[in-house]
Amino acid sequence: MGDRFELVIVGGGTAGWMCAAACAAKLDPVHFRVRLVESEEIGTVGVGEATLPQMKDFNDFLGLDEAEFMKATQASFKLGIEFVNWGREGDRYIHPFGTFGRPIGEADFFSYWIRAHRAGTAAPLFDYCFPIVTARQNRFMLPNGDAGDVCNAFAYAYHLDAFLYARYLRGWAEARGTERVEGRVVEVEQDNESGDIAAVKLASGVRIAGDMFVDCSGFRSLLLGQTLGVGLEDWSHWLPCDSAQAVPSVRSADFTPYTRSTRRKAGWQWRIPLQHRTGNGYVYSSADISDDEAATTLLANLDGEALADPRLLRFSAGKRERAWARNCIGMGLAGGFLEPLESTSIYLVQMAIMHTLTLMPAGRAIDPALPAEFNRVMEVEYDRIRDFLILHYVGNEPDAPLWQRVTAIDMPDTLAGKIERFRHRGYIEAYRDGLFGPPSWQAVFIGQGIEPRAADRLADVLPAATVDERLSSFAAAIADAAAMVPSHADFIACYCPAPAP
Amino acid sequence: MSNSVQRVVVYGGGIAAAMAALAVCRAYSRLGTDIVWVDTGEVPVPHAALIAPPDLATFHRLLGIEGTELVRHAAATIAMGQQFAGWSGGDDAFLHAYGDAGSAFADLPFVQHWTRARQAGLRVGLEDFCLAAVAAKQGRTGVPHETATRQAVKAGWHLDAAGYTGLLRAACEQADVRILAGAEAIPHVGGSGLDRIELAYGEVLDADLFVDVHGALIARVDPDDRAVRAGFCDRIIRASTSAFDPLPLYSRVAAHPAGWLTMIPLANRTAIEFAYDGRLLPDADAPVALAAALGRPVDAAPPASLAATARARAWVGNVVALGPASGTAPPLDGAELLLLQLGIAQLVLLWPIDRAAMPEADIYSEEMAGTRARVIDFTAQHFRLNTRTEPFWDAARAAPVSTELTAKIDLFAARGMFAHFNHEAHVEDSWALVMAGHGVIPRSFDPQALLVEDRVLMTEFQRQLRAIAGDVHAMETHAEALGRMRG
Repeated sequence: MGDRFELVIVGGGTAGWMCAAACAAKLDPVHFRVRLVESEEIGTVGVGEATLPQMKDFNDFLGLDEAEFMKATQASFKLGIEFVNWGREGDRYIHPFGTFGRPIGEADFFSYWIRAHRAGTAAPLFDYCFPIVTARQNRFMLPNGDAGDVCNAFAYAYHLDAFLYARYLRGWAEARGTERVEGRVVEVEQDNESGDIAAVKLASGVRIAGDMFVDCSGFRSLLLGQTLGVGLEDWSHWLPCDSAQAVPSVRSADFTPYTRSTRRKAGWQWRIPLQHRTGNGYVYSSADISDDEAATTLLANLDGEALADPRLLRFSAGKRERAWARNCIGMGLAGGFLEPLESTSIYLVQMAIMHTLTLMPAGRAIDPALPAEFNRVMEVEYDRIRDFLILHYVGNEPDAPLWQRVTAIDMPDTLAGKIERFRHRGYIEAYRDGLFGPPSWQAVFIGQGIEPRAADRLADVLPAATVDERLSSFAAAIADAAAMVPSHADFIACYCPAPAP
Repeated sequence: MSNSVQRVVVYGGGIAAAMAALAVCRAYSRLGTDIVWVDTGEVPVPHAALIAPPDLATFHRLLGIEGTELVRHAAATIAMGQQFAGWSGGDDAFLHAYGDAGSAFADLPFVQHWTRARQAGLRVGLEDFCLAAVAAKQGRTGVPHETATRQAVKAGWHLDAAGYTGLLRAACEQADVRILAGAEAIPHVGGSGLDRIELAYGEVLDADLFVDVHGALIARVDPDDRAVRAGFCDRIIRASTSAFDPLPLYSRVAAHPAGWLTMIPLANRTAIEFAYDGRLLPDADAPVALAAALGRPVDAAPPASLAATARARAWVGNVVALGPASGTAPPLDGAELLLLQLGIAQLVLLWPIDRAAMPEADIYSEEMAGTRARVIDFTAQHFRLNTRTEPFWDAARAAPVSTELTAKIDLFAARGMFAHFNHEAHVEDSWALVMAGHGVIPRSFDPQALLVEDRVLMTEFQRQLRAIAGDVHAMETHAEALGRMRG
């Protein structure tokens, strides 16, 4: 046993068990011993979770069966997020997991749309997107794999019960050799010389030593924050929401294949449809509304009977200055927190896991290039998401004190120029790494009323009549195809019906 | 569009001016844009040749230029890579081939498995698993119908600079670009940039947008930006010798105690660039050193200076600096044409909407500064990673490099992985082949590679080597490929 590299995961929530499952799938047990320490006493923060399409990649990476996973987690499908009252009261738009349009000339589709929109001949941008059109009709089917078909031009994600997901992965990982150690961590032991984490001690007196530690202890950030003293980079001046009330309600007849986010006076409310119930929450700024009023507002805005009393959560937007310090990597809430406005929590865990696997130290001495790269790429991920979230906040009518403040803030430099450039000509910088490509920015900009004044000049080469004809025939093709898609509820009932809880 | 750009002046000479005028004309004359090329008369220096990286093949399609024309008018030969000799480890040479560094296996990049096998004693080099490299070394090119390796094989060109310029100019004429001779024009400032230039014989050209290849226009609107960047050699001799037979599919860059020597195979001659440090090798001695290195005297031009400059802002007001006006390209890796092509393509994409105000300038300047930095990094790695011991090479190794390049080298050396930044101009596999070629063997590998059993891995390596041999066998020779294009 002595030769094996000892990896210790502290905390068994979604992050901990996702990490354990990935290690069980991808690390050779001859060389690695993986243990996960968790306590049944400590609750996890699972309140109905919306995800991104990358989660399907993660499940495929593990080799999970999709229908079985969905049954086990009461999951439903997700084609995007509907934003209600964002921009202006009464507005609604869907940020889809798909692109707008299809190639119709030398310029990109969006440029042709801008041109026709300015001329008054285009339908709304969102009508040129198959997943949006099907989502609005509460329909769903899997992509058909035919690259040329409008019905294939999308990706999808899941709504799931994150607590059930962690439990499902626990069974999966334990069956593949992950050792689970029950117990509450009462002390973290550091090596006197190096300062590395040497072991965690449990209430039972058991000492778990390791070469590398993964901190999945949640907001407490027991190892990375508390023990190693890695500070939190505070982003609350840009993202002022610091609290949430969460409550489940009975499943609604309106079984949407999308998440809904409704802007409210002091924040926004989420709605996540699962098979057995609907997850709801009100994310708010405690400076702008009392906890009681937030709970009352939430309960008054459910589309089904509440199944419990609202549960209060506190948080602060930001990330750890370094996600990997010494021999410890922080994941999930232990590494940072961004409000779930764009369903990025599990994605960030997933990225941390994938980079941890590829950058795992080859021995006890850690090559400094490995944590340097890990911290660099995780910083890129967080920064990209942060800017995209702030965009949602700044693009609004200042119709309440919170919204007056956030629309008047100094934006990060990385965001400030983006809005002006988009207004000028629909320009969006494309990145190689990190979340949110041009279609996502297009959806939020247009959805929240920020419109370009002009399009790329290359879009002017085609005659206007040709552009109009291609736009309308594409929208018609989408509408026709969408009408053939089964309802989300029927598809789930047939494909992956979960047992009653 | 009432306020659209209607009149464009391209100012300068040589390849950059002709290519810019042609690209802009093909993209925007359809919208009624009037394009005038004021040719300031610069022509390629005697003996000059160019390496066109594979991306240029795609760009040529946009310019309407066929490979057959290059073969007929620019003495073109096919470029599948570039060989570096004597940079690291004695006389050893390696090939930076334009292709895949092995085939991915078990969901991991090949280089991870290769690193693991090297640690277990494998002696086979990374480039031996690269179809493009093996093919190029055996004089084979083209893409077989169905490759067993499924590896990409990309090809660029070696071009005679004078022939290529003539070809581009002819294409401009055919596209009805108005060409005026006009050195030493006087730029007139107006608005947020220039409003007109006055040619020597009195003709005045008003324009909404000026594309400056010469440098005089951008200097007028942005006189303070004349950054000199670090270069390695300050002198260069260009020369020619007889053509190789058979023609190689790659150029060769041989390290020399005081610089380096590039040999570019053209159909009718071999172009030579001898770059050196004038402090270590006086101009008077350089021709002798060149002859000694080649083993015979050659037809050479006198020594010339080799500058290293880079403008921080490539687009100011309504003046866009391209080619030499935006700075000198690194003297290796086909950087000159690569940067020129990327600069032109970006200009076509960011074609200004409004002639009165061009916020595109800042976007363009950021994009091009980022791209230039990454292209400079690619060339800088050769110097950073050299293992020679002469003073020139000691200094080259110690010269400062960007934090991005440091991160790239450190991460590859540690784990065989790539630190990606925005504006990358070279693909991962190129970096892998070059760093491994310079002798960097990663110290560790992705632990997921351990899931593959030793025997399975050995079998896969043998399979890949056999697949490469089979694919190479099905390719055509360089002479056959050129003959086909010559018609």
